[in-house]
Amino acid sequence: MTGPQSYIFKTVARFLFFLVNVFALYLLLRGHNFPGGGFIAGLATAISLILLSLAIGLEELHRVMRFDPVRLAAAGLTLAVVTGAAPMLFDRPFLEHFDMHFSNVPFIGGFHAGTPLVFDVGVYLVVVGVACKIIFALGKSTQRLRALVAEEEARYSSRVEQPIEEEVRTEPEPAQNPTIPDAT
Amino acid sequence: MNWPLAPILLPLLTALVTLFWGRSSLPRRWFVAVSATMQLVVALHLTADTVLGRTFVLGLGAWPAQFGIVLVVDLLSAIMLSLSALITLASVLYGYAETSVRLEHPLRATLTQFLVMGINLTFCTGDLFNLFVAFEIMLIASYALLTLEADDWDIKHAFPYVAINLFGSALFISACGLAYKLFGTLNFAEISLRAALLTGDFRLHLLALVLIVVFGIKAGLFPLYYWLPNSYPTLPIPTSALFAGMLTKVGVYVLLRMFATVLPHELTFAHTLLAWLAGATMVLAVMGAISRNFIRGILSFHILSQIGFMVLAIGFFTPLSLAACVFYIVHHIVVKSSLFLIGGVALRLNGTDDLDRMGNLWKHTPWLGLLFLFQALSLAGIPPLSGFWGKYLIVVVGLQEREYWLVGASILASILTLFSMLKIWNGAFWTVSNSVPLRTGDRRWVGMTTVVAGLTVVSLVIGFGAEGVLRIAMQAAERLCDQQGYAREVLAYLGKAGGNLSP
Repeated sequence: MTGPQSYIFKTVARFLFFLVNVFALYLLLRGHNFPGGGFIAGLATAISLILLSLAIGLEELHRVMRFDPVRLAAAGLTLAVVTGAAPMLFDRPFLEHFDMHFSNVPFIGGFHAGTPLVFDVGVYLVVVGVACKIIFALGKSTQRLRALVAEEEARYSSRVEQPIEEEVRTEPEPAQNPTIPDAT
Repeated sequence: MNWPLAPILLPLLTALVTLFWGRSSLPRRWFVAVSATMQLVVALHLTADTVLGRTFVLGLGAWPAQFGIVLVVDLLSAIMLSLSALITLASVLYGYAETSVRLEHPLRATLTQFLVMGINLTFCTGDLFNLFVAFEIMLIASYALLTLEADDWDIKHAFPYVAINLFGSALFISACGLAYKLFGTLNFAEISLRAALLTGDFRLHLLALVLIVVFGIKAGLFPLYYWLPNSYPTLPIPTSALFAGMLTKVGVYVLLRMFATVLPHELTFAHTLLAWLAGATMVLAVMGAISRNFIRGILSFHILSQIGFMVLAIGFFTPLSLAACVFYIVHHIVVKSSLFLIGGVALRLNGTDDLDRMGNLWKHTPWLGLLFLFQALSLAGIPPLSGFWGKYLIVVVGLQEREYWLVGASILASILTLFSMLKIWNGAFWTVSNSVPLRTGDRRWVGMTTVVAGLTVVSLVIGFGAEGVLRIAMQAAERLCDQQGYAREVLAYLGKAGGNLSP
């Protein structure tokens, strides 16, 4: 899953990566009262990561990101559940949310903050993690890379498990593309 | 106040912790087992409270029932929650006995807990769209479990399962849209009040038909069941016991909930259709079971045949038949799961579950044979085991309603069930052959048999204490049909709007 081999594309993709993420942050913060929110912001961030992977390649991206998308999603889910469950400690119903209005904050003026934002951040992380995992797994399978990197393999695969595409993967590589790394 | 949430939150937290824990290890196994036990305790506690007449209602985020999503645990939900917790615990313990810590797939515990969360949310929810969400959680976890420890052959058979269930989900969301257009709400309680005013409207019948197709796919009704019998045998044994016990019964539960609590009781066309589909299901599926020659295949077809009995009871739609349906669900979940687990032990001992190449089990492991006999005869409906009482009630209601063809079909299906159970008995237990190896040296089968013995005790208690269980089932069915009472209980929840948050 690499995009066009052009300098212009790579440069623009790297630049867009930050632009899309700023937009994602905007969507995330705006989501409480207006269209937006954690889900759509997560998708935007996932798109930015996919764009980056087109520019620099999946393996390089994994080296740069250094996170396991499944764990990111799990962390997000934990955050959301904890936010939802916290009111239960005070004998309030699950998922009840609270907010506060701060007026006369220096430099900003008044602003509104509440627990839905924390919940939304959880949603955001889940969406980023899951979307990245799905797209990267599909992308890797088209490039005949293994779906899991070594660290993920230790966590998510059984010791007796063999990749299903084993036969496909080990057949002789086409001659015109000899640079595919050994997947083991 | 948050009690209805516990059966959902516990599996979710367990799944998250196991996901972070990573590789399987002994402490991780203990953690999951303790959590599964706690889920059972919570579910039994909910059942004990609801038997006394209480209904738990929780509005998420303290929104009033009209605006937010409500979780409602009444007696039937609590019974189903207890059963799902029991089967999960048995499946988890059986998995521990079967697989060594080193070889256990690290994601199996996690995905099982997500699956249980989806199942429990289905039982607790009081909202049609939330029901869809619960179905999705359950289905996606089941897709993953189906292909987790799979080879090419398994993937091939998992494909129809995924394809048909995805289609079912698409249809379900369309049905939600239809219901929202029709009623202007998705809350069960409010739908039940507004649907009563629409009696006779053809759109209501259309909605009922769409819902029959959607939940018929999930439950495995006659023209829609072909995804099931080939996909379940590919699962690992403990997971297949959980699937066989709970997943199709979720479909039956939702049919019960929809037709008894949510939609008006005058939809006779839909009820008749359900009854005849059920009749066709039980006869055709049991013939499918006879055609198979390996234990898991036979048992997978039997799930469908038994679904026929439960749905037939819904189709008759009298208070007694609904109680019979509840009783049958209770009996069936325990018996069917334990039969799958017994099949797994036999498979482990003989090294295969192809009936032509099995044998010697009765001679060397009579205890296993005894467990199998209890459960198989119970499935076929031999008194005084638990299966008899459910079938007896259904036949009685059928005779009262003068549906002689359907009664005949159910008796035929029972006889054929007995026949195919005897096929397993002859092939695996009674055959004495020197060429069949019996691996009793591998001591794992002892632990596995112990777990099955626990389930068998539960099923024997259901059979011999049938009167008590039936009384509870009657109460559950009565409250299930009481639409006014249900709506009153749920809509009394005001949350933020009422100021007073204690129920």
